[in-house]
Amino acid sequence: MIFSAIPIWVVDSVGSFLMIIFSFLCLRLVTKLRSQDRNNVIWTYLLWLCYGLALFAVSRSVGHILKRVLLFSGQQTAWRSIQPYSGAVNTLMFVLVASITLFFERIWIVYQQILKDKQALQSAHQKLVYLNQNLEYMVDERTRALTQSEHKYRRIFEVSKDMILVCRKDGQVVDLNPAGYKMLGLHAQRAIGNGMRLQDYLANDEHWNAIIEAIKTQGFISSFEVDLKNKEGRQIKALVSGSLDKGTGTTVDTIHFLVKDIEQRRVMERQMAQAEKLASIGQLSAGVAHEINNPLGIILGYTQLLLKSKGSKQERHDDLKTIEKHTRNCKTIVEDLLNFARESEPETDVVQIHDIIDDVLNFMQHHSNLVDIRVETEYDPQVPSLQLDEKKIKQVFINLIMNAKHAVDSGGMIKITTSFDSRTGLLSIMVADTGHGIEKKNLSRIFDPFFTTKPTGEGTGLGLSVSYGIIRNHGGDIAVDSEIGKGSTFTITLPVEKNKGDR
Amino acid sequence: MKIKTIFFMAASTCLVFIPNPVLATQGHGGIEGVYAHQLAHVFFIISMGGLIYWLKQRGLVRESGWRLIQLSAFFFLLWNLDAVFVHALDDQFKIIQLQHAGSWAVRITSVQNNKMLEGLYYLAKLDHLLCVPAIIFLYLGLKRLLADQSPRAPKQEHS
Repeated sequence: MIFSAIPIWVVDSVGSFLMIIFSFLCLRLVTKLRSQDRNNVIWTYLLWLCYGLALFAVSRSVGHILKRVLLFSGQQTAWRSIQPYSGAVNTLMFVLVASITLFFERIWIVYQQILKDKQALQSAHQKLVYLNQNLEYMVDERTRALTQSEHKYRRIFEVSKDMILVCRKDGQVVDLNPAGYKMLGLHAQRAIGNGMRLQDYLANDEHWNAIIEAIKTQGFISSFEVDLKNKEGRQIKALVSGSLDKGTGTTVDTIHFLVKDIEQRRVMERQMAQAEKLASIGQLSAGVAHEINNPLGIILGYTQLLLKSKGSKQERHDDLKTIEKHTRNCKTIVEDLLNFARESEPETDVVQIHDIIDDVLNFMQHHSNLVDIRVETEYDPQVPSLQLDEKKIKQVFINLIMNAKHAVDSGGMIKITTSFDSRTGLLSIMVADTGHGIEKKNLSRIFDPFFTTKPTGEGTGLGLSVSYGIIRNHGGDIAVDSEIGKGSTFTITLPVEKNKGDR
Repeated sequence: MKIKTIFFMAASTCLVFIPNPVLATQGHGGIEGVYAHQLAHVFFIISMGGLIYWLKQRGLVRESGWRLIQLSAFFFLLWNLDAVFVHALDDQFKIIQLQHAGSWAVRITSVQNNKMLEGLYYLAKLDHLLCVPAIIFLYLGLKRLLADQSPRAPKQEHS
């Protein structure tokens, strides 16, 4: 079949020429792209691709044009000798371009990774620049925040009413807050410098072992009850909580303790238990007294009737006198019990407490042997008048002074002190002696009815019970503080009603 | 290990008992050149197909510059198919013969005198109608990339 050769020649020649032109134009564009960012691996890749395409276009197009020219000029032999080289180079160029193209995906992945790394580096760089520019300000800010934080926690440490103690694992105290110094009766910070150890202030060695064991096994200890002994040797009940602070590379492990003084709470609990006990005994006593009082009245009445009847023999008369005497004793005891049980309302009047005390002291000096005992009074002139049952209050002071007199030896001293706290409206009267003191085991029982340390027959054991009942009946309280060998102090606290008792 | 040992022993046995002349250097007097050229075209086709696929898979075709480059690769792929077809007909299998018929005409004859094949061959000979658009699309794509990227660098993919 015959075809026109012109389209083939034209397309071949013009196409070959255009291939060369556009391949170099592509090369020029990519060179421009690369010149914008010489480190861009994609532009470098495209540059190599375009180099390959340019070589391919040149090899192919030159071959085609040469073929046309040689064939047209009738030099077929020359073309046959060139043709293998042209074809081979052309083939090599295919392979070159195809090979470069196949690397596109890998190059793209590398490029993306470079971009990510570049962004990360830029971000890090920006941060560094920011830090560099603002470092001083940031350090100032951080220092200020740290100072505030330090101040805040230092304040907590300083003003805490509970002991805060930091010590090493061996018990050596590293830091102690003022409340801790106060609780342990220490002064200033010399104690820490002198190798102060926590276990030295625990009354029981086993407590320290238990604390350390708990810290080692659990890392903390919570509300563990211990007896602390302070510098004066006084024991204080306390609750210990603590946790281990693991030291960093340069610091040692420390234990942070919070020690809460529960001594006052324990005292109050004991006082409340004592008050409840006495109230129960009071109820019982009142019941018994009521039941016995009436039969005693009848016995006494009939005894007195028999004593008044004529014709009684002397012997029977004496017997009746004995019955009367003992019945009266019984009635006195019953009345005391009723006083203790606060069964009778006080008959109050406005009185001066200092006058009452003076009256009692005068009475005692006339009727009791207070010759070898020094009696001192120290009255607060601010004490106002009070609404009291004078007779019963006198009985209280008689009981207390009699007890004090029995406690002190000759040459001893009884001191009565009054003080008024206008803020609380409470009047305190302290009756202190320098006697032998009360044993600790008896302190909780001294207000119990019929409890006495005196030999049988010398006391009924109702004096302090009655005093307790009277004071409680006046809305007050009575407490004792005693130390063996040094003496006892009874403190009566009475409320003062301002509108009634102002001087 | 065992299979290798058996294979080695069998091969050794064959060499010993079935000897053949040894032709140390193989000759290339045939049409290896045509086959090499054809394989180069196939390799080109594969690489262009790969490029088209990766440009799409990486989402680069969302940018018009890369889309034009993908189009360029497609035309290069078509040009290679065309070239493979032409070389297969004339050089490889000698199905078509092209002779000059005067100064401005050519005679195309096929083995079985297939006119349609001869016409198709004539059209396929105009292969620059495929490769020239391919390189023009490449040029346009690069031009767009230069316009788009200037002065920015290629974007990071959002995959």
